[in-house]
Amino acid sequence: MTHGIAGLTLVLALVLPLNAFAELDITEARIKNLPPPVPVRAGYMSIKNLSARSVSIVAIHSDAFASVEIHRSVMQDGMMRMEPVDRLTIDPGASLQLAPGGLHLMMMHPAEATRPGDDIEIILQMDDGAEQRLLMKVIK
Amino acid sequence: MPRILHHNADEISPMKRSSIVIVALIALIGGFGLSWYAHNSKPIELESGLWFGEQARALPEFELIDHNRQALTRDTMRGQWSLLFFGFTHCPDICPISLQTLADMLEAIDDVDVSDAIRIYFVSVDPQRDSPEVLAEYVKYFHPDFSGATAALDQLTPLTRSLGIAHTIRNRTDASPDYDVDHSAAIVLINPQAEYAGLFSAPHDPLAMARDMTRIVERHPL
Repeated sequence: MTHGIAGLTLVLALVLPLNAFAELDITEARIKNLPPPVPVRAGYMSIKNLSARSVSIVAIHSDAFASVEIHRSVMQDGMMRMEPVDRLTIDPGASLQLAPGGLHLMMMHPAEATRPGDDIEIILQMDDGAEQRLLMKVIK
Repeated sequence: MPRILHHNADEISPMKRSSIVIVALIALIGGFGLSWYAHNSKPIELESGLWFGEQARALPEFELIDHNRQALTRDTMRGQWSLLFFGFTHCPDICPISLQTLADMLEAIDDVDVSDAIRIYFVSVDPQRDSPEVLAEYVKYFHPDFSGATAALDQLTPLTRSLGIAHTIRNRTDASPDYDVDHSAAIVLINPQAEYAGLFSAPHDPLAMARDMTRIVERHPL
């Protein structure tokens, strides 16, 4: 019995932190490729908050890019411009789209040439310090 | 009553009968002609853009350098339908979307005479970073037939101003090589007389643009 409880505790200790990190269900994570002379790429994804609390993404890192920022394409004075976005906040149960023509990841200065089919790891950093890792697929 | 009708029909001579046939034929041909005329004199209406019609106006003189380091001038635009998009290669979102839309539009045009009459130009409003060599690799990524072009801003601005295309460089500092370029996302249509003939505002639908370009070019074949 003692063994059983200890075992269960061990299992919970191993499983819980992983669950705690996977608060966001992320699908269709993709990077639109561009030819090598161009040092920027746009990243898109669909994010659903599975947790019971509001989650904010405050920073994004990837070893494959010198910097990754959250940007939004907006029309202003008849011109398209890109505006940095400080954080992405997703309410419990809510979804958020990073999609062409709107919110996107601005991924700058790839460490090496990206090719369609590549999987690139990025790390989302939340406002409470938690992190979530995911793979983004490079598409043509 | 039926008897009388029968009697009248018998009275039409062969001569009269053939004149009736001729008159009917003339009316028929005239009718087709009229409807053809009505169809072709009706102003072109676009579902995804603006057609300037009689208001098309001549381009100013300009000289850009294309992705093969050849001059691209007003005269280059003569004898073809040209679609121009103004952007910059360090633009991860809007510019690739627009170029992909133009590539999809070309592929969606069934009439080869129409697609062959259209030339697509990506004009960079960021000449400092977008050399002809960079532009060559960039435009060919989207379609083998696309052309790229640029020019120093003092050459470029009179052209963009005449087309109502705004662009401005923002956030340029000595500290970082990165800066933003704000730009109009509209696609400009130039007719084979090198006149500004129409405008497609963003966002763009490739299939609607394909139908619109087919309407235009079939009405005004080269």
